[in-house]
Amino acid sequence: MQQVKPAWRDGYYRAQVEAVRNLSSDMLEVILTPEKAWPSHIAGQHIALTIEVNGRLTTRVFTVVCGASFHRETKNIRLITKVNNEGALTPALSSITPNTWVNISAPKGNFTLPNTDKPVLMVAGGSRITPFIAMLEDAIENNLIHRAPVHLLYFAKPNEHVLQSELLALQKRANNFTFAVLTRQKDGDVKDYLSHFADAHWLVCGPNAMYEQVHEVAKLVRAPLDSEHFASLPTVNIESLSEKETFSLVHNGQHLSVNNQKSLLSQLQEAKQPVTYGCGMGICHQCQCVKKRGVVRDTRTGELSDSAEQLIQLCVSQAVTDLEIQL
Amino acid sequence: MLEAQLDAIKSEVKDKIGAEDAAYIRRIILIQRICEWSGRILLMLGFLQPLLWVAGVLSLAAAKILDNMEIGHNVMHGQYDWMNDSHINSKRYEWDIACDGASWNRVHNYEHHTYTNIIGKDRDFGYGLLRLSNDFRWRVKNLWQFATYILLSVMFQWGVSYHEMAAERVFFGKKKKNRKNQVTHSELKKHFFSKGARQLVKDYVLFPLLAGPLFLWVLSGNLIANLLRNLWTSTIIFCGHFTGDVETFKAEDCKNETRGQWYYRQALGSSNIKGGNLFHILTGHLSFQVEHHLFPDIPARRYREMAPKVQAVFKQHGMHYNTGSFWKQYTSVLKRIVRYSFP
Repeated sequence: MQQVKPAWRDGYYRAQVEAVRNLSSDMLEVILTPEKAWPSHIAGQHIALTIEVNGRLTTRVFTVVCGASFHRETKNIRLITKVNNEGALTPALSSITPNTWVNISAPKGNFTLPNTDKPVLMVAGGSRITPFIAMLEDAIENNLIHRAPVHLLYFAKPNEHVLQSELLALQKRANNFTFAVLTRQKDGDVKDYLSHFADAHWLVCGPNAMYEQVHEVAKLVRAPLDSEHFASLPTVNIESLSEKETFSLVHNGQHLSVNNQKSLLSQLQEAKQPVTYGCGMGICHQCQCVKKRGVVRDTRTGELSDSAEQLIQLCVSQAVTDLEIQL
Repeated sequence: MLEAQLDAIKSEVKDKIGAEDAAYIRRIILIQRICEWSGRILLMLGFLQPLLWVAGVLSLAAAKILDNMEIGHNVMHGQYDWMNDSHINSKRYEWDIACDGASWNRVHNYEHHTYTNIIGKDRDFGYGLLRLSNDFRWRVKNLWQFATYILLSVMFQWGVSYHEMAAERVFFGKKKKNRKNQVTHSELKKHFFSKGARQLVKDYVLFPLLAGPLFLWVLSGNLIANLLRNLWTSTIIFCGHFTGDVETFKAEDCKNETRGQWYYRQALGSSNIKGGNLFHILTGHLSFQVEHHLFPDIPARRYREMAPKVQAVFKQHGMHYNTGSFWKQYTSVLKRIVRYSFP
């Protein structure tokens, strides 16, 4: 089947790479043409992108940085990402050639522009400006933005604000949209700004620390709050592995806490969970399962796994972060 | 020392595994599909020219051998799990033989590969039918075990399929107590019959019916293709495990064994067969049985480059590296079967 339809895979949609462009030294824009069967997204949603990196299918999640109307008109969608030279996927993405077929998931997530008559306050942190660009694009296109003003607070480290020209262009198209480019070092915390917008509907997308601050104030002033926030992947080093740490393990909808000292298999067995197992030394693959999320360490080699979905053997895996697996 | 040296060979190859290996297995799967479909079509063209039917049988047999050995066996060992491809991994792959993949995984992948040649634990040694060493008491039935061996080879896929149930004594014999089971007997039966029936219906009802008036041509073609595959896999597997000088072990020897000792046992419990490129592919690289037993989850095509290094390590440690031509190894297997027919 894959000979006729490259990258055809059960459970995935196909998309063809239209263009790959460098926006700056470390920002990359990828234009994809999804196949017709792909259900279009709502601005603000994300997709999982899967490409083959040195023979291995590797998946990462990206926001679709365009409105649904852009997709309708051009048949294309746009992704923007920071290239992480140490990363598993983004360096490969930068060298992908046009016309290559890749896999994408259906659009996911419910971080979208709320249907409200209230003013809207958007708070973005770092490269997480992307869902707002998509939302604004669609809102302006569909004349939704005229109902109430939209203001965007855009925080990033000095000189690391991206897509500013696009924000300016959006502002030109809609009088009701304004934005402020801020840095914590110079302008102070996000908290200092929120009080002006107590009557607005708040949207926040950025690092966890920023979300916590906004969430706290939102509770105080009872502002409605939608958010998408990512706890950044913990940095794992060899020293931190020697200390005993406890992580949460989600499997088949159940929660369990596990430590980083014993194998996942032995901890699941102690908790009387239904695992099949065999040799206990990584030969027979009986205890293999799908890890949906998180990082594990191979006890034989000390190698760390990818953080995305992959198969692991429970008997030779230890938790390094919080995990989600499918037994 | 042995452990470190073999680990080093493994990690060196592991670092190289990548796009090339992924492309290789996809190419083999493509070739297998082409062989299978051209085989099935040629079988139906037999009425034009019987030679086309012969070509069809051979092509289908080749497809079944590739599916069984280079694809099924190796994928189910987890050799390609690193690809994250849901179509090519040990959890999902189901092969075109009567044996249910999960059952094979339990008996072969777990028991045989963990407890290689430990009498009483590795039930692959002699398959409970043949006496192949002095570890077993001689019985009268061993007198005609050469005939049993031929029958096992002819019916090999069913032997593999029935293996776990025979060992669990699901139908006959006294059931052993204290055996830890992860699968109930009724589940075993269900999987055995459903997978077996599917294979029978596919090869002996569905495809022959599709051929209409050529029902018998296709039916007999499928039968012969299955037979050829059975004989081939059985022969290769016997040559990998039951040549004259493979050694057996006792359960006591292997208590608390280290990884190095495990390597040592794997090394002495298996044997290689020399041959050409095509031969290695058709054996699923089980012609490198020694390397396969040392590194069961390394993509099998890599055994070729590992073999000389493994051989050098063995030499350094004064260990016997069991290899030889196909005929040498096969004769030695036949001799072993005959030798232990007698007390």
